[in-house]
Amino acid sequence: MDSGGPAQAGRDTRIPGAGYLLVVLLIAFSIFGDGFATLPNILNVGVQSSVLLLLALPMTLIIMTEGLDLSMGAVLSLAGVVLATLLMNGNSLAAAVAAAAGVGLAFGIANGLLVVTLGVPPFVATLGTLGIAQGLALVATGGQSVVGIGDALPALYESRPLGLPFSIAMAAVACLMFGFVVRHTKLGSYVSALGGNREALVLAGVHVNLVHIGVYAGGGLMSGLAALLLTGRINAGHPTAAIGLEFDAIAAVIVGGTSFERGDGTLAGTLIGVLTIGVLKNGLNDLSVSSSLQVASIGVLVIAALVIDRAVAAGRTAGSRA
Amino acid sequence: MRGISKAFPGVRALDEVSLTVDAGTVHVLLGQNGAGKSTLMRILCGAHHPDAGAILIDGRPVRLHSPADARRLGVAVIFQEFSLVPYLNLAQNIFLGRELSGRIPGTIDRRKMHAEARRLLDGLGLDADTRTPAHELGIAQQQVVEIAKALSQNARILVMDEPTAALSDREIARLFERVRALKRDGVGIVYISHRLQEIFEIGDRITVLRDGKNVGSFAVEHLENPENPANLENLIRLMVGRQVTAAYRERFCEAPGETLLEVRDLRTGTGVRAAALDVKAGEIVGLAGLVGAGRSELARAIFGADRVVSGTVRMTGAPLRRGPTGAVRAGVALVPENRKTEGLALMRSVQDNVLTAGLRTLFPTGWYRAARAARAVADVISRLRIATPSPARLVRFLSGGNQQKVVVGKWLTAGSRFFIFDEPTRGIDVGAKAELYGVIGGLVADGAAVLMISSELPEVVAVCDRAYVMRDKTIVGELSRTELTEENILRMAMHHG
Repeated sequence: MDSGGPAQAGRDTRIPGAGYLLVVLLIAFSIFGDGFATLPNILNVGVQSSVLLLLALPMTLIIMTEGLDLSMGAVLSLAGVVLATLLMNGNSLAAAVAAAAGVGLAFGIANGLLVVTLGVPPFVATLGTLGIAQGLALVATGGQSVVGIGDALPALYESRPLGLPFSIAMAAVACLMFGFVVRHTKLGSYVSALGGNREALVLAGVHVNLVHIGVYAGGGLMSGLAALLLTGRINAGHPTAAIGLEFDAIAAVIVGGTSFERGDGTLAGTLIGVLTIGVLKNGLNDLSVSSSLQVASIGVLVIAALVIDRAVAAGRTAGSRA
Repeated sequence: MRGISKAFPGVRALDEVSLTVDAGTVHVLLGQNGAGKSTLMRILCGAHHPDAGAILIDGRPVRLHSPADARRLGVAVIFQEFSLVPYLNLAQNIFLGRELSGRIPGTIDRRKMHAEARRLLDGLGLDADTRTPAHELGIAQQQVVEIAKALSQNARILVMDEPTAALSDREIARLFERVRALKRDGVGIVYISHRLQEIFEIGDRITVLRDGKNVGSFAVEHLENPENPANLENLIRLMVGRQVTAAYRERFCEAPGETLLEVRDLRTGTGVRAAALDVKAGEIVGLAGLVGAGRSELARAIFGADRVVSGTVRMTGAPLRRGPTGAVRAGVALVPENRKTEGLALMRSVQDNVLTAGLRTLFPTGWYRAARAARAVADVISRLRIATPSPARLVRFLSGGNQQKVVVGKWLTAGSRFFIFDEPTRGIDVGAKAELYGVIGGLVADGAAVLMISSELPEVVAVCDRAYVMRDKTIVGELSRTELTEENILRMAMHHG
């Protein structure tokens, strides 16, 4: 293109469309909802959102590489079943969590190998591992919940590090760790480059395949760790406990302004996306809206966020050209 | 590099090619597209592995298993295809894969990276913020970042593959200053370019490749001397392997026909203002100016691809309806600068591409008829002499010149009469250029009109019947055939001329 004007935009300061929606929702629910704007309820939104956030963070990175992980919900369910079963059989909490994380990591690496090494499209590869993980979880439990998991996990789940509910604390730690890695290590650049210009990364002498597999492995690992929170919350392992959660994670990432193309995305946006979905669900519950309608509302949210993003982007372009 | 050979399935890309680069010199690598220049350079940077031959650095044979190996040995490459990551900022792009370490192990020092990037970009005269994501820059600015990226490696061997293809003259001058400084520092430079005049300016030695073979290697001195065996005519002859008789148009338009396109007082959403121009049947009209003068923006607005704020665009007297649909139906065709992304569907066949714009014209009833489609495509292929084994060949596998012809062919089936060419010869070799000028000449001979945007002044002078010159997003003057010289264009295109 023949456009050589100086680029005036400095740091990328885009606010995802969901940012505006979140503010609108917060105000609306505070006015119309009973007891929405109370500290316990706000903490409740955080607790409800924490599992989703643990999945949405790695999902952001995977989507930035122009990939996808549909297996997260199923892997989370399977890891939860493994965790609960080991606890039920009297194993230590540490061993059970390590096993759950290991199951997640194994599936993540398998996804990475399928996508990167064998060149299977991410949609297909992770749809396959979704089926495998879900099937294993059902076979292992005969479709029943695994109950009687002892006291160690509930005790941990009820603990309040720094005065925060455990799940919020864990989600916060995950946020900080992902943020640090993306912002202050090479991996942040590499993830964007995987989606934006893989060839450039190859020519820069980076071990591209390793980084790419690592992104999927991270998704699996986080799914395994999220089992700790989900199992703690329902006090049992259930083979379909997290079914479909990957779609909420994808929705949160999209709502957060990450695009499926060219390595464009931010973790901060995803955090906003997760919170928007959490607030929406909580507020609608508060207003006694049926859960089926809540599902529809997330669909509306995704579309609304994208429409706002487009409008803002169009405004920016017009503004910078004028 | 000694006796390098490389074969790809079905093609012998390189056949015993040797190349010696001395420290502190610029070695120019000449050759048509497909001559093997890029393959040779990809071997030098470790991206391809040679089937035979050896690479010696400082006289010692080295084995390059990966780009990382090459980089460690001091080889840096400015690639022709942009190797920038769109959503990383300029500092991240410049140091991609070589991030500067911070104090905590495993972290990066962002502040230092931005400072270093700033210094490098200043040296090349680019004042864009280093925190700008790369995709917000124009092509010329991206090219500058690309150069900064290679310079940042402090390489001992620097490969520049068409570094000036997207640059304006001022930026080229800056680049050459840097190149001379690098020479003084003892860096050995391999320089690939299609612009012959650049060779004289910075080259020390020339090697010509043709069909994967080394066909000659000369010192650059006295090239203009006709007695010299390596004079310009000879170089071109070596590159193309046949005598180029007339690279440029022989006959200009004596008596133009009716006015096809008429633009009055056009103001666009992209900042072009007060633009007025006419193009008559049978004319090739140049649109000259420096990079950033607003030429592409004006062209896109005429085509309806950018928003028109005020003013009129008329085609054979009738105002164009808004949007590209209206323009195309009125017979306007755009051959865009980025043919690979804006002009073609690379993964589709020649036939599919040629038919995209003409479906409406060819099949007015809306029913596709295979026989008529095949006839129309065969007609275009023979008329434009597109070198393709069959209409079913994927466009991706054609050479740059032939891809460009497919874009033109697409508009022929649509029955277009007014063609806008945006930098039509960028990145295509000398032989293909001559052929493309022939194609453009053929269009106007058949009564079409052409508006040609070009940054190559000799091209504008040699091909156009007259030219408009743009500066600061407006048309600042018009040059008739007799006034049309490189000096006159530059005087108008630059400030305070």
